[in-house]
Amino acid sequence: MGVFVFLPLVLPLTAWPVARLAEQNLHPRTATRLLTALAVVLALCSTVCLALVMVVGTAQLPGNPLPDGWSDPEVRAAVPYDEVVGKAAIPALGAVVVACARTLGRHARVRRRAHRALTGLPDTEVAVLPDAVPYAYALPGRHRGGGRKGRVVVTTALLDRLGSAERRALFAHERAHLAARHDRFLLAVQLAARANPFLRPLRTAVAYTAERWADEEAARAVGSRRTVARAIGTAALVSLGTPAPTLAGLAAPGPVPRRVAALLGPAPAVRSWPPVFTSVGLAAWGAAAGTAVSAMSSANSAVTMVLILHAATPL
Amino acid sequence: MTDPRQRPRRGQGELEALVLSALREADGPATAGWVQERLGGDLAYTTVITILTRLLGKGAVTRERVGRSFAWTPAADQAGLAARKMRKVLDAESDRGAVLASFVTGLGPDDERLLRDLLEQDRREGEG
Repeated sequence: MGVFVFLPLVLPLTAWPVARLAEQNLHPRTATRLLTALAVVLALCSTVCLALVMVVGTAQLPGNPLPDGWSDPEVRAAVPYDEVVGKAAIPALGAVVVACARTLGRHARVRRRAHRALTGLPDTEVAVLPDAVPYAYALPGRHRGGGRKGRVVVTTALLDRLGSAERRALFAHERAHLAARHDRFLLAVQLAARANPFLRPLRTAVAYTAERWADEEAARAVGSRRTVARAIGTAALVSLGTPAPTLAGLAAPGPVPRRVAALLGPAPAVRSWPPVFTSVGLAAWGAAAGTAVSAMSSANSAVTMVLILHAATPL
Repeated sequence: MTDPRQRPRRGQGELEALVLSALREADGPATAGWVQERLGGDLAYTTVITILTRLLGKGAVTRERVGRSFAWTPAADQAGLAARKMRKVLDAESDRGAVLASFVTGLGPDDERLLRDLLEQDRREGEG
């Protein structure tokens, strides 16, 4: 096992190049799926290894519920790391669990409250709210407790500023979010980023590619990429004054101008997997290799661990 | 001789309008007791309930059960009420983008100029 148990904790770094390059070079649908899958696998492996390190490191702590046999010298020899690392793994694992639980709780809470806010309205797919603040978003449906449909929420302030073609583009964009269940991708990468902070660039990248995916779907639905670009541009400009959610866009152009520029450029090619000898191909294969190594080392460490502990536990 | 303290008899329509306007002044759903108080207490509680029930039959108000009584809302204001509730939900989340995929996110300092340039360029190309 040795050093392999620590590899999955840092292997998410191999996904950074593809997170940067996939945005520009892959079809947004491919990019969203690829990056989400990478993030989920890498996060699971990283968490498994964190748990393994914790078991080894803490087996000898007084008062722990683990069998004493697990801290035998033979076990400790097989895992050549002292209990300092194991002790550090306890708060780390606790932090991961708490952060993930809070993320899930917040999702459920916001979704529930938003659905409740709309209860008095007619049960239509689009809910138009009379509000002076321009905004629009896709509110995903709920599976449990009534099985409500997803809805598009939009304010009159925003609709008033858009032409009819642009309104169709807006609705098509939000419907694409609902139809492809983008909320699940976004939640998955958020949980992954909570499990391992090295996965945060993937979360940012997926938030962007999911928007691009919906943009391209909308462009297909209304038959014009320029109409979608204009709708996004107009909506962003009338929303000015709404504070930017992150400070990440200080140096680089923010996601909105990049989306508009992408729509005004050529349509992205649909490829299932990029060719190897391009920068994006290398990055994608690099990330895939990193993920595979991560999966193998965490599986290897887990199996080794089970075998050692099984041998060490008096039955 | 008429007793000067006796108020002129008001028609049903007038009472309904009074109750409805009182309800519209409420910030959200209101109870019959609140409406009665708002009207200065010159209508009996049962009268307020009767009028609200009649308004409910006409579809002018809606009600929802709150505890053992009902909270009443003017029907025409349902959309406005939903908008206010939604704003409350969104304002409570500092990082709403983390939960709901908004159509557009905020613009950075240089984004506005960049965006205007892009749209302007597109407009000129569309004309040319």
